[in-house]
Amino acid sequence: MIGNVRRFEPFGEAPIRVIDDDGRWVAPFACDIDVARQRAIYRDMLRARRFDERLSTLQRQGKVSFVASAAGHEATQIGAAHALDATRDWTFPYYRDLALALALGWPLAEALAQQTASRLDPARGRQMPAHPGSAALRIFTTASAIASHVPPAVGSAMAQKLAGRGDVTLCSFGDGATSEGDWHAALNLAGAQGAPAVFLCQNNGYAISVAFRHQSGSADVATKAHAYGMPGYRVDGMDPLAAYYVTRQAVERAREGLGPSLIEALVYRYGPHSNADDDGRYRPADEVAAWRRRDPIVRYRRYLEGRGLWDDDAEAALAAEIKAEIDDAVRANAGAGRAPLGWMFDDVFAALPPHLRRQRDELALTHDLERDGH
Amino acid sequence: MALQTIVQTVARTLAEEMVRDDAVVLLGEDVGKRGGVFLATEGLFDRFGPDRVIDTPLSEAAIIGAAIGMAVHGMRPVAEIQFADYVFPGFDQLVSQAAKLRYRSGGGFSAPMVVRMPAGGGVAGGHHHSQNPESHFVHTPGLQVVYPSTPSDTRGLLRSAVRGQDPVVFMEPKRLYRAVKEELPDDDATIPIGQARLRREGDDVVLISYGASMAETLKAADALAAQGVSADVIDLRSLLPWDQDLVLERVARVGRVVVISEAPRTLSFASEVAATIAEEALDLLEAPPVRVTGFDVPYPYAQDRAYLPGPDRILHAVQRVLDY
Repeated sequence: MIGNVRRFEPFGEAPIRVIDDDGRWVAPFACDIDVARQRAIYRDMLRARRFDERLSTLQRQGKVSFVASAAGHEATQIGAAHALDATRDWTFPYYRDLALALALGWPLAEALAQQTASRLDPARGRQMPAHPGSAALRIFTTASAIASHVPPAVGSAMAQKLAGRGDVTLCSFGDGATSEGDWHAALNLAGAQGAPAVFLCQNNGYAISVAFRHQSGSADVATKAHAYGMPGYRVDGMDPLAAYYVTRQAVERAREGLGPSLIEALVYRYGPHSNADDDGRYRPADEVAAWRRRDPIVRYRRYLEGRGLWDDDAEAALAAEIKAEIDDAVRANAGAGRAPLGWMFDDVFAALPPHLRRQRDELALTHDLERDGH
Repeated sequence: MALQTIVQTVARTLAEEMVRDDAVVLLGEDVGKRGGVFLATEGLFDRFGPDRVIDTPLSEAAIIGAAIGMAVHGMRPVAEIQFADYVFPGFDQLVSQAAKLRYRSGGGFSAPMVVRMPAGGGVAGGHHHSQNPESHFVHTPGLQVVYPSTPSDTRGLLRSAVRGQDPVVFMEPKRLYRAVKEELPDDDATIPIGQARLRREGDDVVLISYGASMAETLKAADALAAQGVSADVIDLRSLLPWDQDLVLERVARVGRVVVISEAPRTLSFASEVAATIAEEALDLLEAPPVRVTGFDVPYPYAQDRAYLPGPDRILHAVQRVLDY
């Protein structure tokens, strides 16, 4: 519901769209998004894409060990981020959610520090790249273990329900996650508890190499919502406004105490699963090319231009602003040094227990604990 | 004040903690109207209501996962796993999420929570109602693990667990739930996690145990006393962190030690204690440390009285270190 109008029915045949591939408004309602947000969605998409490209460059230069590109997922991640209230809601992301985290306000410099495990990383260099998280922004720090964040996301929503302030939890994952036991256990609990959770599946058709038809006998992910007593929506995930409006309906439903929703956004990852993957072994090149022709950034720019909200000058100014921001972050981070050896023993517990003190002292006999990690 | 059993102490302590702190909530299978299958949450649903005593779906992953999500919001969830044997569907939540959350977020997030689970054999429950999976948790950095054996230790450690800053696996000796009784003082004392307790003082041998096998260990000490052998008895109570200082101090004094645990021997906690003693105090030993443990077989059904370390097997091991 938006106001008193529920715009989208669950379990529809065709994926929900708000703008078509050429950027024309096709929804049966008028746009009510203010102009600043409409432009911000574009800015966030372009910024995420450019940063993603820079990370791949840094990876090839040996400065980042791993990249899980979000290119092709930006419309869904950023549309969903704009449907949340970043001052109060919680987000439980997965490893491909860099664009989502940036759109929620994760500083790009912090994101870069995480990718490189530098001393500037507030998470203290504890994880491999592509693991967003920010306590300040209520973005639950990513874990690699697929779907393991979904039960905690439901606990977060249960806590929000008990607090009674109308806050919600968005939990994001890929299509592979829907095969894990934890995923089903969590959606079942959310349904039973009426928890204010929004589950966002970014279905890009492949869990690394395994196509969705081998992932599930179900025709799609959204259908699975039926079994857990919640609405399921299939969305054109290359349409940022569809992602925004459907997420907004699910968020408002949750805020009003009507329980969880499942959104399946149909997206495509342009690149391989990661820099360590060879997607040519399992995806035909013409399939990749066909999806690239539906690029969400191009499509949304056409929409903005059609509304008179964007032009070449605005594009040039934004591109320059983004390049300067990324260049500054790369420069500042390059001199920061890696998380030092001694940090290895901190944050296992709230306080350092005696056995870890002894083990740290033991390492100090052979290593300088202030030395950069590697 | 009447004598209290361990299981009564659990329910009473949880109630006291829920009164003390509104953030404390209970969740699990059958913890609500049923009061838990062992009655460890008896009366709490009626007293505190369904928002604070939450009956969940039958899913350990959901129970432990939900507790983590509540904990990051500042709540103090106490999750019940009906039997320790059933923790494994939720094991990944403990290992991948709860244990690593503070570490992987650089201290940004943490999951202060308690996962209670009745453990141990001797209840005619076969291999899925009898196991002692503590080594799995001790081997997972980021979890605290406690395993008390008396009502007073249960109370003091449960208070520390609920009030602490880290996730705690709280193992309860189900065989002793109603077998050990104590009068509990009307106080608010906590017992620090990581502190062992000297249950007996003796000069001839140190017996070290914890959890359900403490009862058998004390019986063995009684039998030794009747033979004129005086045993020092240490109840570890906490397994991670554990009280290495007290253990080494007593072992150094006596020079002979037997470590007792119900869990299968290989990589058991008894092995960790024995290895530490060998590494830190070899010069002070009169005999090699000896372990008396469960065997490396799935928990047996018809043979479990022989599988569990009883006074007979403990006495045999003591004789071995005395004769060395």
